Amino acid sequence: MSLLGLFPLSFFLWCEKTHLGLWIKNGTWTFATIETVHIMALTVLLGTLVVVDLRMLGFGMLRQSPSYLAQLMAPWTYGSLVVIILTGICMFVSEANRLSRSGPFAFKMLLLIFAVGTHFTIRAKVTGDAVSLGSRLSKVVASLSIVFWFGVALAGRAIPFL
Amino acid sequence: MHFVEFVQWLNDRHFSVALRGDDWPFPIIETVHILGLGVSVGLVIWIDLRLLGVTMLRHERVSEIVSQLEPWAMGGFIVMFISGFLLLLAEPMKCYTALSFRLKVIMLILAGLNVWYFHAKVYPTVAEWDEAPAVPWRARMVGILSLTLWFGIIIAGRWTAYF
Repeated sequence: MSLLGLFPLSFFLWCEKTHLGLWIKNGTWTFATIETVHIMALTVLLGTLVVVDLRMLGFGMLRQSPSYLAQLMAPWTYGSLVVIILTGICMFVSEANRLSRSGPFAFKMLLLIFAVGTHFTIRAKVTGDAVSLGSRLSKVVASLSIVFWFGVALAGRAIPFL
Repeated sequence: MHFVEFVQWLNDRHFSVALRGDDWPFPIIETVHILGLGVSVGLVIWIDLRLLGVTMLRHERVSEIVSQLEPWAMGGFIVMFISGFLLLLAEPMKCYTALSFRLKVIMLILAGLNVWYFHAKVYPTVAEWDEAPAVPWRARMVGILSLTLWFGIIIAGRWTAYF
């Protein structure tokens, strides 16, 4: 599995030649700094997701409803998601050629689509209703959320190794 | 024996060489360490934000947030300490010589002291300010220190690979 099946090589080569790509690739500490911000945003993002997902599974902040917690976390989830995506794009353009052939990276993007997709559809539905839609559905959604998002992080970690 | 000699001895041990070898142990342990951020620091953030009196959470009782989140955060931190310790055992000499890692250790100690201070000196009086959006200054200080130290630790951790 690799993104080369979906996009032409010329696209990835073009990415690396953009001003942004070159600036990051050539800077001594630029990539590392951007990656550090990526990790800090990941900490915030996963934290906000875990609080709500744990609640849906029946653990953690039981005195508050899932919808209350989801509302509380929302600005932080979206904010950290924006930061993580922007830093991700920056890192991508700086090494697009290598990533085009990376299996873990393609898998990470696939999982990201699933994660974001379920987050804004079924998870939003389940946490949006003040009355719980049924604890079994909540638990399935929460489990999927954890698997997808932590899967994205896991696949990301595999990129330098594979 | 000087400490650096002990570190070198550790570095030469078979388990240390094996841990940092080409195979799967190191990547898996490192992955656990990074994913664990979400269940440790990621959760503690919410206790700290409550202590700082920001977000909707300030309308909730401090004791409720602490008692409900802390057990999970504790579990997360235990995972972080075990995986972190294994990572240290895999590369003792690299960690010993890296300025970033020394700073990380100092900040970890301070973060631990901060937690002890909170539970020993601040939290016992929580009944008096449980429902207050604005908590006593010592509690706010614990919150700010916690956030600063943990994110400093994350930064230092990442930069250990470089210096």
